[in-house]
Amino acid sequence: MRDVKSDGAAWHADAEDLRAYARGELEAPRLWSVDTHLAACAPCRQALAEAGDPLAVDLGWERLDAELDAPRPGPVEALLTRFGVADHIARLLAATPVLRASWLGAVMLVLAMTVASVYAMDSPTVFLALAPLLPLAGVALSYGPALDPTYEMTVVAPLHGFRLLMIRTVAVLVASLGLNGLATLALPLYGLHALSWLLPGLALTATGLALTARLGPVLAPALVSGVWVALLVVAEATVHGTPLPFTAPGQGVAAAVAVVSAVLLHRLRDRFDASPAHPLSTDFAHRSTS
Amino acid sequence: MTTAPTVSASGLTVRYGGRPALDDVSLCLHEGVTGLLGPNGAGKTTLLRVLATAVPADRGSFTVLGHDPGTAAGRQEVRRLLGYLPQTPGFHPDFTAFAFVDYVAILKELTDRAGRHREVRRVLEAVGLSDVRARRIKRLSGGMRQRVALAAALVGDPRLLLLDEPTVGLDPEQRMRFREVIAEAGEGRTVLLSTHQTEDVAMLCHRVIVTAHGRLRFEGTPAELTARAAGRVWSSTERDPGARAGWRTGMGTFRNVGDPPKGAELLEPTLEDGYLLVLDGEPAEVASV
Repeated sequence: MRDVKSDGAAWHADAEDLRAYARGELEAPRLWSVDTHLAACAPCRQALAEAGDPLAVDLGWERLDAELDAPRPGPVEALLTRFGVADHIARLLAATPVLRASWLGAVMLVLAMTVASVYAMDSPTVFLALAPLLPLAGVALSYGPALDPTYEMTVVAPLHGFRLLMIRTVAVLVASLGLNGLATLALPLYGLHALSWLLPGLALTATGLALTARLGPVLAPALVSGVWVALLVVAEATVHGTPLPFTAPGQGVAAAVAVVSAVLLHRLRDRFDASPAHPLSTDFAHRSTS
Repeated sequence: MTTAPTVSASGLTVRYGGRPALDDVSLCLHEGVTGLLGPNGAGKTTLLRVLATAVPADRGSFTVLGHDPGTAAGRQEVRRLLGYLPQTPGFHPDFTAFAFVDYVAILKELTDRAGRHREVRRVLEAVGLSDVRARRIKRLSGGMRQRVALAAALVGDPRLLLLDEPTVGLDPEQRMRFREVIAEAGEGRTVLLSTHQTEDVAMLCHRVIVTAHGRLRFEGTPAELTARAAGRVWSSTERDPGARAGWRTGMGTFRNVGDPPKGAELLEPTLEDGYLLVLDGEPAEVASV
């Protein structure tokens, strides 16, 4: 072996290999033998310390130091990065109130109760009526001064408000639609019909967001929810059988509303730049002034 | 000042309901620490919010290093130059100090992980929180949280720092520590710091602005503000009814500011005396002293 030579009773690592080892460029299997040897041989460790580039060693320490310092990401963040989400996006999402375990737990509880009531009443209407409201509520609650304690810092950050909103909306939608989907799986009796909350859910969320640009983060989702409930009450009272929104034409309308609202939302995106004249910030500014 | 101002504002006016919170305020801010003094309700927070682009001015305009926040692109540029400590900073209590400052750094568009973490370490070191960086914010004391918020304002090395009552609620030792950090931050940067402690201004600031009822009452150096009270501070054994303001000192005598009677024993003026005289004409504010 070239890398480990006999020197009387002991073996010692080759100087060139030690330099390569110090640079982190020595390759296996030579790396393994030097590795093992270094653990047992003080003179070679000394030689290694001298062979290393002091700057590289400093950088290495700094890197190690920084790694040790870096916060250990919470469960949500760790999961997101594992799924390939960039770490800074994962941090933004971890700061989204409705992605917390407490919120997700509450949603699951509501869904479980709703599924139970479907079996009790032998009709999926309650589930279909409620499920579209959950993503709307989740998105509404992840934006604005009510639930974001750092709202004032977020507003003045250069990161574009609309971009942050979209990052959070996509995450909340994925979580919310995922939970709804799981609940749907618990209703195999109704087949695809049990999935007819999906298009209304997207329509309500998109409409709620688009109206937020005009009406603010409280009034807009409240109004949209109100219209949805009123629509269902009227549909229940006038038509027997499947309520209108869950029929094929109703689904078509929901899809159309979702698309139109999404386009509108995109056109209004600059209003989410927390631009000063925005209803979002006026409400906030009134809270305390001095 | 020979250098161009960092901030120049003219005619800033903000109304809440019918009441003006900020009334036709024009000012220039230069490099260094400027103190913003005023009683509660003077418009300090509103002024800082307007300059931080958190609240719009109903009238008037301002620029930061030539960028006009009235346009979307200009606003973006201003926000890139800005570090802002709100009056009541909010936190994500489950985040560690490090994670929270890291979060704010991300909002400030520092996306490179290694560089961002280096920067977060730097600012936590600057505010003396290196030792508790891994502790959750809900387990930090009020003073420490305030320092986390200051670190968040400092992250990204902003050219303009707006600090809304950063020393409020701190004990004397913490306040000293804070002043050191702010004085250091003021080197090569423009800092506007609101406070109602004249002490902060006397120890930190090279310029001082006094506001009352939304209006600018004074702009100059602390020495100039103190000089306003030259020859207008005197001591007496009884409360002097002719004084604009008077209070009993620790020595048992009264310290009065205003127009001294003939033969009064004049005292060396302080910044506080000058401040009280500048506020004069606001009897409600002065009477409470």
